[in-house]
Order: sequence, then structure tokens, then C-alpha cells
Amino acid sequence: MNLLRLVAAETRKAATLPAVFAGLAVAVLGSLAVTLLNSVSVRNAAASGNLERVVSTSPVETVFAALPLGTVGAVVLGVVAMSSEYTANSDDAGGGRQITATLTAAPGRLSVLSAKALVTVALVAVSAAVTLPAGLFLARAVIGDAAAEAAAPGDVAARALGAFVYWSLTALIALALTALARSGIVPMVLLITNSSLVSFSLLLSNVTPLARYLPDLAGTGLFLGDDADSYTAFDLVLDPLPGGLVMAAWAAALLAVAALVLHRRDA
Amino acid sequence: MAAMLSIENLTKRRRSRVILSDVTFRAEPGRVTGFLGPNGAGKSSTLRILLGLDRAGGGRALVNGRPYRELRSPLRTVGAVLDGSGAHRSRTARAHLSWVASSNGIPRRRVGEVLDLVGLADAGRTRVGRYSLGMGQRLGLAAALLGEPEALVLDEPVNGLDPEGIRWLRRLLRAHADAGGTVLLSSHLMGEVAEIADDLVVISGGRIAAAGPLLEVTAGHASLEDAFFTLTGGAAHRADGGSR
Repeated sequence: MNLLRLVAAETRKAATLPAVFAGLAVAVLGSLAVTLLNSVSVRNAAASGNLERVVSTSPVETVFAALPLGTVGAVVLGVVAMSSEYTANSDDAGGGRQITATLTAAPGRLSVLSAKALVTVALVAVSAAVTLPAGLFLARAVIGDAAAEAAAPGDVAARALGAFVYWSLTALIALALTALARSGIVPMVLLITNSSLVSFSLLLSNVTPLARYLPDLAGTGLFLGDDADSYTAFDLVLDPLPGGLVMAAWAAALLAVAALVLHRRDA
Repeated sequence: MAAMLSIENLTKRRRSRVILSDVTFRAEPGRVTGFLGPNGAGKSSTLRILLGLDRAGGGRALVNGRPYRELRSPLRTVGAVLDGSGAHRSRTARAHLSWVASSNGIPRRRVGEVLDLVGLADAGRTRVGRYSLGMGQRLGLAAALLGEPEALVLDEPVNGLDPEGIRWLRRLLRAHADAGGTVLLSSHLMGEVAEIADDLVVISGGRIAAAGPLLEVTAGHASLEDAFFTLTGGAAHRADGGSR
């Protein structure tokens, strides 16, 4: 009952926070833009007979190649859900942060964090439900008959679900880290860099194979599917199920730590 | 019975610095209790502990005998204003009050009502980041009044209010207490407190220097100001730190 009210309150907060729309825009429009670019290069490669220039000609692969943008969007959604609580208002308006209002309205820290987690996952679900089908439609429309589709439908569905789970867990990790940091800047920079420019886990895997158990790398199998090892030089990526569970364990542990810290720390 | 706020033997340290030591007092229903002290004396820390925001090192702070964190719909029992409005700068006042209302199961019609009550009806759709200090205080009050609470806890509520706003606030708090409600307000402005308080609690350096009905505390002194400086040992002059 209480949790339902808090979910309603957090939904209202999300619906009236401009940064949430920025996160959704990155996830949806960003992914579709990259899918479009990739599809056009596949079509051009096919037209000029230079198919070896592109990694894969399949529309499905073209869509999944744009997933990092969805991850970036998920990071933004997870971070701003919490960082907006700690943003100080302008001094002219008396300073002050929303966390004071949030915790006087709902003193149970665990309930507040749970409500935020649920709303964040719901937002990620919305972006996934729009992005993946729209991306596939776009890629098929652009590539057309230029290339054959190799992927089986059941496999595609499983990987799409995996992508949603990966994004959700990424968003939850971002939420937990932001709660710990009480500011969005460091988690945002760190996680966006890691999921778009340089994967620290991938770099670390050159040093130790244990890097495969880091959350982002562990979950990679979720959207790469069963033959994930064809993407990497080594036997690095865990299978979808165990990998997903390892990533979920990371997210759960970080959220538990965040709940404990919120409970003990002065707001 | 209306809400009684009781602070019992609170202590608080931040690193090695003592913020509060053995702070004890009550705010009774039907009365306005002024919580007076220089900046940095421990007023905000006490109120933040009362509202479950900060943790006490020792002692307890109770609302009707229960810690704030145990209240199911706290905004229906206690309305509070702490530093600023507590609204995110990119939200409108209406959007802010709407989520606060839904978090405590308060009917939506209250949003419009409290905006009218605090004189922000025309600014309800303005982003809070564009508010003045006084408007922020009014919005904070609107949120505090949303759940029609028995007790009001206000930290430096007259900051940024214009003379007319101060007068309006004074009447509002008086009416709340006269209707049987509890009002606890902190201030470092003696004149303000003298105008409105029935009871006085004077804090200095994290310790209670005096507590009781206004006339008792100021008895034997020429004015509240004299009483204040005597009780606090002139601590107001070394105002260090700020109201957070």
C-alpha cells in the first residue's frame, strides 16, 4: 500500500523531470539514428558488392549493434532518478535539495529506493519496447533484400529480452552508485564512458580473465546470444543465463549497500 | 490528542565536534514554541533529527511518543519547512506538490487549495528555479500544509518573506495553535520570536540555555534581547557556521 503510493509519487516525479526525457531520447532516438546509419552502410556495401567491409549484413545484427546507445540512455535514467534528489536549488530560491522533501514525505529509505528502482525499470521497459521493434523495422526497410537474414526469430526475441534485462540492470547499478555518491556527475561520466567509448572491463580482461565477472561484461551474453564468443577473440563472455545472474547479483548487492547507506547516513 | 513534539536528551557529534549535547524540550499542542539561538547553535540539527533526516548520537525525538521514521503517512501529522522549498528547480510548484500529495495519499484538490492559501495561485505553473526566496518559503509552507497536519515544524520560516508575508505567516501560525495545533519554529531573530511565541526554548552551543513560557524566560531582563544575550553568553556575536 505504502509502496504503491511511493511508486505513484516517483512516477509523477519522473514525468515532470526534463532530464528523464533526455534519457529516453538518447535511448530511443540515439539507437534509431545509429541503426539507420548502420543500415545505410550495409545497403551501400551490398550495392557496391563490398560486403566484407561491414561486420554483419543482417538487419537484426544492425539493430543490436546500436545497443550501446540504449545502455547510455539507461545510465541517464538511473542516474537522474537519484541525482535530482541532491541537486541544490538556486540560492535565490533558498537553496535546499529535494531529498529533504522526499524523506520527510517518506521516511522509509528502503521503500523510497525500491519505488525509484521500479519506476526506473519501467522507463527502461518503455524505451526498449519502442527502440527494438522500431529499429528492426527501420533496418529491414533500409536494407531490404540487399542482404539475407541469418538470425532465427526465437533467438532474436531472446536477445531482445536480454537487451532489456541488460539495460535495466545497468540503470539499477547507476541508481545505486548515484545514491552512494549523492551526485550524478561521477557515476554519469564513468558509466557513459564505460558503455560507449572505452569498456574498462574489456581493457581489464587483458590483464585477468576474472574481468568477465564484472557486471557490464558478465551481462554481455544477454544480448549477444549463445554464440557470443564469435564476437571476441577469447572465451570471455559468459553464457546468457549465468552472465545475467552475475550482473543481477551485482545490481542487487549495490542496491542493498545503497539502501543501508541511505538508512544510516544523514540526509 | 493533538501532536506533541518531545525532544529527549539528544546528543549529536560530527567527527569530533559536538553539535548537540543533552538537548531536551517539548512543543505542546495549542502553543507556538519559539526555538531561538544564534546561527550554528544546533537548531537545524535538532529539527532534522526530529524529522528523521539526521540520526542522533543519543537520546530520542518523538512525535506523539513515536519516532518520525515510524509514522505511516507523516505529512498528515507533521508539516515541515527546512532549507528552501525542497522542490527540484526544473519542476513547477504544482508538479512538486502533486508528487508530495500522492506520496502520502493526500487528495489532489489540496494542491490547489494550499497554493491559494500561501498566495502562489498565479505562480503554480512557474518553474521553481525561477522563484524568489520568499516564494520558495511560501511553497515550502504549502507543502507543509498539504496534509492538514496537527504539528508544524518550521526552520527559519521568515527568511526571505517581505513584511506583509511575515505578518501573514504570524497570523497563520497563531490560528493553527489556537485551533489546538502544535507549532515549533526556529529563528535567530529575537523580534520575530517575541511577537509570536507562547513558549521559548533558547539554545546556545548545542545546549539548552533556557526553556519555558515566554514571560518566565524573559523575567528579570529588560527585553527578550537582553535575556537572549545573557542566556547565550553573547554567543550570537561569534556566529559561526550556517543554517543548513
